[in-house]
Amino acid sequence: MEIVIPQLLTGLAGASSLFLIASGLTIIFGVTRIVNFSHGSLMMLGAYIGWSILTRLPRDPEWFVLGVLAAALATAAIGVVLEITVLRRVYRAPELFQLLATFGVVLVLQDVTLWLWGAVELPLPRPRWLRGFVEIAGSRLPLYDLILIGIGPLVLGLLWLALHRTRWGTLVRAATLDRGMVAALGVDQRLLFTSVFALGAGLAGLGGALSLPNSSANLGIDLSVITDAFVVVVVGGLGSLTGAFVASLLIGVLQAFGIMLLPKITLVLVFLVMAVVLVFRPNGLLGRPQAEAREAALPAPVVRAAPRELRLLGLAVLLLAAAAPFLAGDYALSVLTDACVAILFAVSLHFMMGPGGMASFGHAAWFGIGAYAAGLLLHWLGTPMPFGLLAAPLAGGLFAALFGWFVVRLSGVYLSMLTLAFAQITWAISFQWVEVTAGDNGLLGVWPPEWARSPRVYYWLALGLAAGVALLLRRVLYAPYGYALRAARDSSPRAQSIGLDVPRLRMVALVIAGASCGLGGALFSYAKGGVFPTYISIAHSVEALLMVLLGGLQTMAGPIVGALIYTGLADLLVRSTDLWRLVLGAVIVVLVIAFPEGIAGAVRRLWLRGREA
Amino acid sequence: MLSVEGLNTHYGRAHILQDMALSIGRGEVMVLLGRNGAGKSTTMKSIIGMVRPSSGAILFEGQPIAGQEPHRIARRGLGYVPEERRIFADLTVMENLEVGRQTPRDGMRPWTPERLFELFPNLGLMRHRPGGRMSGGEQQMLTIARTLMGNPRLVLLDEPSEGLAPVIVEQMAHAILALKREGLTILLAEQNLHFAGRVADSATVVEKGRVVWSGSIAALRADETARSQYLAV
Repeated sequence: MEIVIPQLLTGLAGASSLFLIASGLTIIFGVTRIVNFSHGSLMMLGAYIGWSILTRLPRDPEWFVLGVLAAALATAAIGVVLEITVLRRVYRAPELFQLLATFGVVLVLQDVTLWLWGAVELPLPRPRWLRGFVEIAGSRLPLYDLILIGIGPLVLGLLWLALHRTRWGTLVRAATLDRGMVAALGVDQRLLFTSVFALGAGLAGLGGALSLPNSSANLGIDLSVITDAFVVVVVGGLGSLTGAFVASLLIGVLQAFGIMLLPKITLVLVFLVMAVVLVFRPNGLLGRPQAEAREAALPAPVVRAAPRELRLLGLAVLLLAAAAPFLAGDYALSVLTDACVAILFAVSLHFMMGPGGMASFGHAAWFGIGAYAAGLLLHWLGTPMPFGLLAAPLAGGLFAALFGWFVVRLSGVYLSMLTLAFAQITWAISFQWVEVTAGDNGLLGVWPPEWARSPRVYYWLALGLAAGVALLLRRVLYAPYGYALRAARDSSPRAQSIGLDVPRLRMVALVIAGASCGLGGALFSYAKGGVFPTYISIAHSVEALLMVLLGGLQTMAGPIVGALIYTGLADLLVRSTDLWRLVLGAVIVVLVIAFPEGIAGAVRRLWLRGREA
Repeated sequence: MLSVEGLNTHYGRAHILQDMALSIGRGEVMVLLGRNGAGKSTTMKSIIGMVRPSSGAILFEGQPIAGQEPHRIARRGLGYVPEERRIFADLTVMENLEVGRQTPRDGMRPWTPERLFELFPNLGLMRHRPGGRMSGGEQQMLTIARTLMGNPRLVLLDEPSEGLAPVIVEQMAHAILALKREGLTILLAEQNLHFAGRVADSATVVEKGRVVWSGSIAALRADETARSQYLAV
């Protein structure tokens, strides 16, 4: 018992912090339908701003309270700026583009924070009262933990009052249910959205400032917090405040006890809980089925085979690519090899996302599984590269089938979040199972055999495999199976009523995507000579999304164009500026605002319009 | 009070409204008649701004409103009651009314929940019931009441009798006649000629997005050919 109670209280304190972040995220989603990737960044800003304020104030409790509130207000103000400059312009864009835009904001804020506060983590010097203890049931408990435990329910109560006892709250709840109708009744949604976003940002800032005494202001907060917050919001049910509270308690307590009982699997545990909840309650604990958006999104345009001129252009590019080793130096060849891997990465995601309608947020999982399959075989059994390149797609496909059993049952944001969860589980295993995977150090010495070691030969190999897979996927897409898959995407009930087995169609798409992506992972590992857990990071999954969305979902050439542009852009940026995240993030935001249909989609539209004229 | 001139609306490539035109005077009740898919709802959505018309003029109290955002149009005193009712299911009757509330307008007795409960007595008995747990007829009353809370000068009423039991349709007709006595201007979309005939002064008949007939209700009653050609199922 003497262990259980302190651990439980630690868990509850953690739950409060989680709730502060998750509540803002869920309210913003409820009203604006935007999954705000930059919510963790707002918390990070709250922590840094809090640090800057609190270190300049006297160290008494009342000044601490004032400082924390000031940090929350400042973050809310930043939220207002963000909403007006970025989010407001993408409310009509497709869901994923919105997500992409907010991820661009994450990148920008990362560099801005680094530039303003530096790379060193900033702990808050703790005055005596913050270090106090309280004796409960024979155990000494940190006073600050008890304060945190109280703050969670307090915030929930205040939010409840604001939502149920004010006109603003009534309008917010109405807008969560039917935005269009609220507008038709004369309510200016812009004010509503901006105020809701400010509230969410303020809560994130509050959470950030309050986290200071127990940790520090550091640059890792944004992505680590956003994944936890996603899990809480999804487990609780998107848009449900009470759900977020219950889920925070569940996850917070689970984390506390997990660390005590099975320290090795805490990372896995959280995502496992999410996967289990989603299988039994596909809309989260207290969530409801996502009502069909009232302002219906435009129907997906029909994917048509590329016009003849474009195919000839593609052929010319392929020939040029094959001749590249005679034209370019070794460095350029290594970038081009990366581009071939990126193409595999992007076309495989496009296959399940465009025609398949399943937007994966954890595409790097298959990439990493392919990479580890090749790496582990070489490391433990000495299996040479050709077999590794064969084993990688097999492993990718196999695990896609395994995860797919859960994934094909869901749709929309929940599906994306579940794929994210599986990617995080895979990442956690690769990171924590040190005996087998060498953990953070990675598997080293994963080189191709002698005959493939020259950059030239390896590039040709990568080009051949990338082009082959891309053409194969194109063939599959225009086969009857491809039509059936798209029918299932456009209307699952109608597809089922004409006798199509929708879950199986989607499962096959997942397996094909997983296998193609796994091949890319193996190819990448041999090129770099190692396999590391970062291959499975969230940032890497987002890269795949970026490539596909930059290129556009509605053309087969899209992911290829996107992969090339992204690889080129990233290489250029990393080489030319220290602030590459800032530039990349800003470019993403601008692109999403300017080309909501992707670059290839926009080019295609202009091309077709030119021909019609 | 409201005039629509040469209005064209497209859904993607489909040309839904083709040179739609109508004109309503103050205090008039006009019925927009037509079969399913004739363009009645699209006309209303184009007027309130939920669908952006591709060309044409819409004048409300002499001011052009075509292409403006719905909330601006609604603020001018143009109320819209959608066919699907679109009640906020989680919100109570009182909360639904609160969402519709706008500041009172000059020269008008402002609507309050109490006044609306006189018009729709059923609603007064379930003030704290969530909209999702009301019958279709009750929801229809609530959606009208909710729009009236905005103190509109003109209401677009999209098929209020649809799917309701005859006794409720009867109550609805009484309510509309009461609103007419208050001086409210109403544009009513209907397929039910009997219901429309009881409340409306004039009629505009649409078919395939065009006006094919317009005149007084009495003239429509007399015009057997028009009725059978445009309205018989």
